[in-house]
Amino acid sequence: MSEGARLGGAIAETDAVAPEHHRIGLARIFAAFFWLGVTSFGGNTAAWLYHRMVQRRHWITDAQFLAGVALGRIMPGSGGVNLTVQVGQRLRGSAGAVAAVFGLLSGPLVIVVALAAAYARGGWSPAVHAILDGVAAAAIGLTFATGLKLLPRGAARLGPLAVALATVLCVGILRWPMLPVVLCLAPVSIGLALVQRRSA
Amino acid sequence: MPDDFRTLLALVLVFVPLSLLSIGGGASLLADMEHESVAVRGWTSPREFADLFAISRAAPGPGTMLAALIGWKAAGWAGAMTATVALYLPSSLLVYGAARLWGRWRGSLWHSAVERGLAPVAAGLLLSGGIAVLRISPGGPAVWAAAVIATLLLLRWPRLHPLALFATSGALFGATALW
Repeated sequence: MSEGARLGGAIAETDAVAPEHHRIGLARIFAAFFWLGVTSFGGNTAAWLYHRMVQRRHWITDAQFLAGVALGRIMPGSGGVNLTVQVGQRLRGSAGAVAAVFGLLSGPLVIVVALAAAYARGGWSPAVHAILDGVAAAAIGLTFATGLKLLPRGAARLGPLAVALATVLCVGILRWPMLPVVLCLAPVSIGLALVQRRSA
Repeated sequence: MPDDFRTLLALVLVFVPLSLLSIGGGASLLADMEHESVAVRGWTSPREFADLFAISRAAPGPGTMLAALIGWKAAGWAGAMTATVALYLPSSLLVYGAARLWGRWRGSLWHSAVERGLAPVAAGLLLSGGIAVLRISPGGPAVWAAAVIATLLLLRWPRLHPLALFATSGALFGATALW
């Protein structure tokens, strides 16, 4: 657990995060995120992570995933890597976070440099660029499908649905800066959640 | 090799601030990286940067792995690793600390209210991310159409493996280009 000490602070509490799961081993976390890293084409790590870690492995819930996405996007850095840190931390504390991030990044690092070396030997044909467009389109599809699946639904959740659609309108369509939009919409949404809890 | 060392140090000095200050995820990071590596440091020409961007799109993993390529261009393998660590380590430590602090309040009423309140915002951000990528995609209307078809297929058949869909879509686009 030396990683825990290195990453800052006592580990006792970090380890207390895991008991809700039947502790998943570090090697399994590393392997799962390595596989996620080397197969997540198209750049949207979050959508792939949802497919693998939530839908396939059930390592975290929809709610935990969305909380991780939110914090990961509000904080500086890559949203996908930030989400990976949080999932690893949930699964196995600080060591889990280290295993997940190393797993996620080590494969793509080697692959991307190897591709660049190949590219330096004379570029790519237009067909390769077309293939990349095709892959990018599928990646966007995966992102949309994930986002749509996670939209709030049901008559009792019209308020949250309105918040989600307002986020899409402001950030996605009008291209307003993300942080102020989130800082305006999040308090409204949290207030809604509090009120609903009280009336329930 | 003092020159190599100086380049590595420069990579750290560029990517650590990017790591800590670039809010808004991949898209804003890419814009900042382009500015630094082309205009400020001269590690790549604009044309080279565009090539590196295309290469990073072809590789799996986070889109921001482009940082590794800039490091590679500037200082070989050592540069690739330095840039990767400098870009991801500071922000990862920050988010780790925040997540742990946040986890301390798990179980309280407002903790669950905040998480439930953030969920729809997060779903909206995911969808917005898809729209942002669609917008900067160089492929035009064909990409838009394929993205919509892929979305519908995945929603209709959730068991469909994304990799199968990615391979099919890539092959179809490649074949059309060859024709």
